[in-house]
Amino acid sequence: MGAYILRRLLWTPLLLLVVSFITFLLGHYGPGDPVQMLMGQYRDPEVVARIHKQLGLDKPLLVQYGIYLKNTLRGDFGESFKYRGRSVAELIGKRVWVSSQLGLAALILSLLLGIPVGLFAALKQGRWPDTAIISGTLVFYSLPVFITAPFLLMFFVLWLGILPSYGWGGLFDTRIIMPALVMGIPGIAFIARMTRNSTVEVLAQDYIRTARAKGLTELVVYWRHVLRNAMIPVFTVVGLGLATLVTGAIITETYFGIPGVGRLAVEAFFSRDYPIIMALTLIIASAYVVANLIVDIGYRFLDPRIRYD
Amino acid sequence: MRMKILLAILLTAVLLLSSCAPLAQYKGGELVRLWDDPPTLDPHLTSDVSAGVLVVEIFGGLVTLDRDLKVIPDLATKWKVSPDRKTYTFTLRRDAKFHNGKPVTARDVKWSLERAADPKTRSTTVDTYLGDIIGVREKLRGQSQEITGVKVIDDYTIEITIDAPKAYFLSKLTYPTGFVLDRENVEARRDWFKNPNGTGPFKLKEYVPGERLVLERNPNYHLEPPKLDTVKFLLAGGTPMVMYENNEIHLTGVGLADLDRVRDPQNPLSKELHVAAPSFETSYLGMDVTRPPLDDIKIRQALAYAINKDEIASKVLANRVKAAYGVLPPGFPAYNPDLKGLGYDLEKAKNLLTESKYGPDPKKWPRITLTVPGELGTAIGLDLEAILAMWRDNLGITVEVQQVEWATFLEELDSHRLQMFALAWMADYPDPQNFLDLHFHSQSVNNQTRYSNAEVDRLLEAARVEEDEKARFSLYQQAEQIIVNEAPWLPLWYPGEGYILIKPQVKDYLLLPIVVPKYRFVYLAK
Repeated sequence: MGAYILRRLLWTPLLLLVVSFITFLLGHYGPGDPVQMLMGQYRDPEVVARIHKQLGLDKPLLVQYGIYLKNTLRGDFGESFKYRGRSVAELIGKRVWVSSQLGLAALILSLLLGIPVGLFAALKQGRWPDTAIISGTLVFYSLPVFITAPFLLMFFVLWLGILPSYGWGGLFDTRIIMPALVMGIPGIAFIARMTRNSTVEVLAQDYIRTARAKGLTELVVYWRHVLRNAMIPVFTVVGLGLATLVTGAIITETYFGIPGVGRLAVEAFFSRDYPIIMALTLIIASAYVVANLIVDIGYRFLDPRIRYD
Repeated sequence: MRMKILLAILLTAVLLLSSCAPLAQYKGGELVRLWDDPPTLDPHLTSDVSAGVLVVEIFGGLVTLDRDLKVIPDLATKWKVSPDRKTYTFTLRRDAKFHNGKPVTARDVKWSLERAADPKTRSTTVDTYLGDIIGVREKLRGQSQEITGVKVIDDYTIEITIDAPKAYFLSKLTYPTGFVLDRENVEARRDWFKNPNGTGPFKLKEYVPGERLVLERNPNYHLEPPKLDTVKFLLAGGTPMVMYENNEIHLTGVGLADLDRVRDPQNPLSKELHVAAPSFETSYLGMDVTRPPLDDIKIRQALAYAINKDEIASKVLANRVKAAYGVLPPGFPAYNPDLKGLGYDLEKAKNLLTESKYGPDPKKWPRITLTVPGELGTAIGLDLEAILAMWRDNLGITVEVQQVEWATFLEELDSHRLQMFALAWMADYPDPQNFLDLHFHSQSVNNQTRYSNAEVDRLLEAARVEEDEKARFSLYQQAEQIIVNEAPWLPLWYPGEGYILIKPQVKDYLLLPIVVPKYRFVYLAK
């Protein structure tokens, strides 16, 4: 097990290197130019050439990549092209933290509500509560942000007047309620459906019949045999979903005025802000590596049949 | 001796008078609004509205724009122009101070202009706004340390020489690229702009990037100090209409989706609705006059005659814009109300097609592609849909639409790869040169349509150096009439902020067509 984790971790830097190189190439060979974006509709080849030189964009691509690599290894992600004079670390750091907290709140919400609802539906399999939950979750799962967000704003802000409409104060501030609900509602529905389906599947297994035949109480059957096995697919999805915590949610963030990373990321892509794009890509790639590792290790504990040697 | 005392008393009286008047108007309070996170707060790097609006409040230059959009003194009290109209001698105000109390001297002005023109500053705007000053281009190319055209005469006098008697030079100096910075402040830290020491009506009180920016009244401002205590700009977005109705912001624009509801007289919000005059902006379809079939003037004119812009403005766009028939927007210097535009005239359009060298049947023409910038899958705009439909129904011309995101659009535009494109131009300073010379002089690098007319060139060149304003504007109007007739641009709309909701307690929030330091005029009624 230890050797397995170590091996996985050792491969990570190589993976990140490949990811960064591909991103770098795509950025520089794709259409659009960061300096031209700064100048907007003003066109002046002399200015573009001068600023390219100042930013080092006139050097051969591999030299540029080498410089980028050297700086990154020293922990220097450079300065944003668009937000000039501001370091990438400063621009990204706080916002990734804000977005992760919001994502985490939404995830916890989906788990706390999704799993019990799904279990309940599975227990009532085929009867009306099951049908109601299955169809209800389908509706909630399909609700887009631009329906839920304005509805919540109308309800909580304009009608009840109990919540401010925008802003951010961390995990334990009331302003997290609406955005977490918006992001959590599809999550609740999704996890409920998944829990219900895998529970129904597990309930039909021979070992459940065996357990009941042994005379175990229903509580023990459910707790020890059903739940644990039914959670494997849910765990996979949630585990990989951990990686999306750092990507931010642009629409939700914009609706509720949350200073998250989503907006910055989209802006950076559109304005060809290479240093920000590179840093974000690395962070997101690393998050996927870590999330995958967590899922693989988690399997080992959920399912004794899985061994890593 | 007695004279001196008398003088002192007189001076004190004058000072008291001048400082009393604004104090009486100080009302306090905080104005809150949404805004975009500015890419920079460094005036010399400022190149867009989101930064410009903030920078003009924190900093200042020799001259500025007043609420009636006239160039007025800021750090200078007066200036003298030499007989050849190439040398400006500015006398600085004795009472102008940086926010930390340090007086502004001629050396600060010189250092600031040289810092703007230093290639290491990486300014994208310096060529445009300061390029007329002798020596700026040499400094930008690293050929000299100083700007030879800028001379300090004494602490409070500075002389600036430009390369030709250009009447628009002072207008350009109102842009942040020409603003005055405090050398100690700038050289102290790489991110000095987080604690800027400016000369403007407001100081920067707090700036949390991506979250909020708060401006605080500068009580010692040498022009009329602000009446508000603070102005808070929320930078993280939000849902503007909800924030407004929930009293979280004082003003917001109103989009088409909310307009009917807000305009309803039953809705109390309708009393808070204001209509902004068009901004100094013209949206247009540009046509590359070298690409078939748009190289035929008759086809360009026919395309213009075949669309009914007034109908689109009222029926499709709810009159949020005004139909444009000229290049210069209403209220802009040299705007010509008598200009003859190419209005809706279907018969003329059809005749022109018959006369065109490509013949009356558009199916036999080379294809026309309209390129539209757009991001995140936005629609191309109802107005363009209507125009395309009118071309198809009225003339049988099918124009293909290609949508590309902004960065790609700019690259294609700059390399003249676009046949027809939708764009808008917003004036950077109120002078017709910024519209007409920039886009239609055959040698201008910003001439995106490759339009070239010797007579227009001659008129534009004469207008650059014409001393008499009336004669100068007349030259521009003549050029504009020729341009409109030959239709390298098909002017569409004079857009603006459109409809704006402003809380009733907010007074003197000016809806101006261009960026002007205006928050010092605003006050909140109790």
